[in-house]
Amino acid sequence: MATALTPRTDVAGIYRPAGHLDAAIALAPYKGVWDARLAAHLLRRAGFGSSPDEAAKYGSMSVHAAVDSLIDFPSTDALPAPDDLYDPRTTLMQYLQNGMRPGMADDMTKRKIGQQVRQQERQSIISLQRWWLNRMLVTPAPLQEKMALYFHGHFTSAAIQKGVTPVMVYNQNQLFRNNALGNLRELTWQVSIDPAMMIYLDNARSDPQHPNENYARELMELFTLGVGNYSEQDVRESARAWTGWVLRPRIGTVQFVPFRHDSGSKTFLGQTGNWAGRDIVDIIFKQPASASFFANSLLNFFVYNSPEPQLVEAVANLIRKNDFNLKPVMSTLLRSNVFYSSRAYRALVKSPVEFTIGTYKALGANQVDDSAQRALLQMGQVLFYPPNVAGWPGGANWLTSQTVIARENFLASIVNSPMMDGVDWMQKLPVKAPQAAKELVATVLVGDASEQGVAQLTDYLNGAGTSALGMLSGENYPERIRGAAYLTMAMPAYQLN
Amino acid sequence: MKRSNFLAGTLSGLAVVANTQHVFAQALAQSPLPGLPGAANRCLVLINLQGGNDGLNCVVPHGDAQYYQLRPTIGVSRNDVLSINDKIGFNPTLRSFKAMYDKGMVAVVQSVGYPNPDHSHFRSTEIWQTAAPDKYEHTGWLGRYLDEANLPKDNLFNGVALAQVLPEVMVAGKTDVPAIAQINGYGLISDRNNSASMAYTKLVSDNRLPFSSPYLAHVAEIEDHAQKGSQELPKLIAGYKPAGAYPATPLGRSLALAAQIVGSNIGTRVLYVQHGSFDTHVGQKATQDRLLGEFSDAIKAFYDDLAAHGNDNRVLTMTFSEFGRRIAENASRGTDHGEASPLFLIGGGVKGGIYGAYPDLSQTNMGNLKFDTDFRSVYATVLERWLGRPSAPILQGQFATISALG
Repeated sequence: MATALTPRTDVAGIYRPAGHLDAAIALAPYKGVWDARLAAHLLRRAGFGSSPDEAAKYGSMSVHAAVDSLIDFPSTDALPAPDDLYDPRTTLMQYLQNGMRPGMADDMTKRKIGQQVRQQERQSIISLQRWWLNRMLVTPAPLQEKMALYFHGHFTSAAIQKGVTPVMVYNQNQLFRNNALGNLRELTWQVSIDPAMMIYLDNARSDPQHPNENYARELMELFTLGVGNYSEQDVRESARAWTGWVLRPRIGTVQFVPFRHDSGSKTFLGQTGNWAGRDIVDIIFKQPASASFFANSLLNFFVYNSPEPQLVEAVANLIRKNDFNLKPVMSTLLRSNVFYSSRAYRALVKSPVEFTIGTYKALGANQVDDSAQRALLQMGQVLFYPPNVAGWPGGANWLTSQTVIARENFLASIVNSPMMDGVDWMQKLPVKAPQAAKELVATVLVGDASEQGVAQLTDYLNGAGTSALGMLSGENYPERIRGAAYLTMAMPAYQLN
Repeated sequence: MKRSNFLAGTLSGLAVVANTQHVFAQALAQSPLPGLPGAANRCLVLINLQGGNDGLNCVVPHGDAQYYQLRPTIGVSRNDVLSINDKIGFNPTLRSFKAMYDKGMVAVVQSVGYPNPDHSHFRSTEIWQTAAPDKYEHTGWLGRYLDEANLPKDNLFNGVALAQVLPEVMVAGKTDVPAIAQINGYGLISDRNNSASMAYTKLVSDNRLPFSSPYLAHVAEIEDHAQKGSQELPKLIAGYKPAGAYPATPLGRSLALAAQIVGSNIGTRVLYVQHGSFDTHVGQKATQDRLLGEFSDAIKAFYDDLAAHGNDNRVLTMTFSEFGRRIAENASRGTDHGEASPLFLIGGGVKGGIYGAYPDLSQTNMGNLKFDTDFRSVYATVLERWLGRPSAPILQGQFATISALG
């Protein structure tokens, strides 16, 4: 049954597919009014928000030019590479050079080596997280990083678990980036034999006598098909097919070793043959459910949560038609009616990464400061450490009293940081409270506040609630503007993407 | 609306404390089940043993030769087991916990699970938390309890999750449950400035916005609760002093805070705590021994503290884990995802002992333990015989209770 979209007066010039959702109209190119507000919406979804200049710049383009510039993104090769990643073999080498004989270390020494390795790996990952956050902030290709973040939550693997090295974490991250708008089937295959994934979901520890089912199960349940589209027997058969891929610990090279492969006949999703891993991926992507699964996942991440079944199916058809190539799919989605409908506008909860990077962007900062990573931990999203194989649950789950406190306190710390001295537009706000309040709301929230909200901000700027009531002036300006910037970002709209 | 109601009635710590007796009397009067004196004063602490705790190395079937055949390297030696009877005994790291068992404070419910078990962490955790094995339910069973229990609407602490992210078990339709990782730093920096604090209160309640969003009401509510709750909670629990030291582990810290919240009589009925991860595919012994040892020491400190404050008889602790693990060990001295496993009910109100069928290692479900007690029977027992609520509406079906409580 078609889910009704309640027609509503289109207060901000956002058109929607009228009445019931017509999937064809929903995916047709949007031809309505285009302005900085919708440009900011596009940049929040296809990237990590916008600086005041960027929203205006994209708002002055056409919707197609704006989407094209995100989809046909420039090369990012010139962006800085991460600092040298720690290789645990260097620690082992040091011990060997200092006279430790291979295989002869006593327990005490082994423990010490283990501790040093873990400590340095952690430091290396922290530096890698910061590198990625900065990349999200400054990249000329925000959609590339947004897709990498999407894949990181979709094909989850966690760092420093059971022997995942920083180099493996980085390589997986690059895999996502390099396939940002590539082919989903090919990426699924690459992810399957990616060292970090092989360790995280135990294919690295599987053998024909004891096939490990962890990857076989999650590949279908969480990565490609969803529960209900395969049987327990399919999981067992797939696990057998995946045997033979061997990972050299620490070095991280992967190769197929025929004598470690179960070469017997397997029946998987109704097809019988001597299947190996690649066959499993190909058979999965022949299931109609695979395109629907990705359609639902992409809609939930980029458009809105709980999309209507007929919209999911329309996007699934689009995916099938394009043989799982993401570029034409994302290109259609990002310029569609449904993407700019009021059903989609501010209809997602910002993830902590979107919230923090968006804040730096809005303030015009060109690098993240020390508060970002601690804040992300408290908000519940640490890069390279998803909570479980299902990734971050997202939506309303991002917001608890505790995570909201972490969000607001991040804002409070950033508006009071020295970084704010370099925020040009804030130094130049009018010294008259009503105008300053209005400009703050326009710049930070593209106007998404009520008149009452602007009035409250004005009152605050004029010293309401302070013992020394006094109008906004040159003397109290820096402190009050900072406070008002915080309050603007603390408004409900700012939590929504 | 709920929000405006909340804003209209200012909630001060003193008001809550003064109200407590009235609130409890009211809840008791509304309790539909007779014969539960003090039910309204009771609290449930739910401990999630995350990752799938291996039940067979936790409550060890040391009388069963098959156990040692199937676990040649990781089986817990008969000499090490803290024997309960000739069939089973506790893992040796559970020494303090065994002493509590010997005092009659622990009920071991064996072979708990559900039909058509799911082996995925995600889905099975969801099933245990939503109590809905056959469908995707949005709310958790304790969330539905909070919605159903006629608890004072203006109390922000009817349920409290000691976690960074609100667990699904506490997701409710009508009740916001604060998730508190730790009490230090729990609060808004902007509340240190009166002017900003006042403006914040007004701005987050602004609902005349030029757009609509399915999450707008939720955002406004949580922003509001974040401010109110964090202002009130530290004051409400400040007077409580623990009777003894807790282990310096995450679980020790969580249970210390749980004792403080329970002991401060702020109307909290359900508390969620987590511990883990027990996902021991590889090298199981080191990880599980450490985690069980931490559990044992923390739960002992918790009940010692509760007892010193006279609260041990009104706090029931229940453990759960998304599944047990495969009976046979794997090639990596670990175990893969399994099915049924034991859970614990702990507290002064528990009828200590062994409940449910002993695990049968010969009649398996493709190498996994079959369940005997449906997990919803345990939930029904806790709801009816501890929290004093009819269980059928919450569990969406009638499940037999067990005799470990009441």
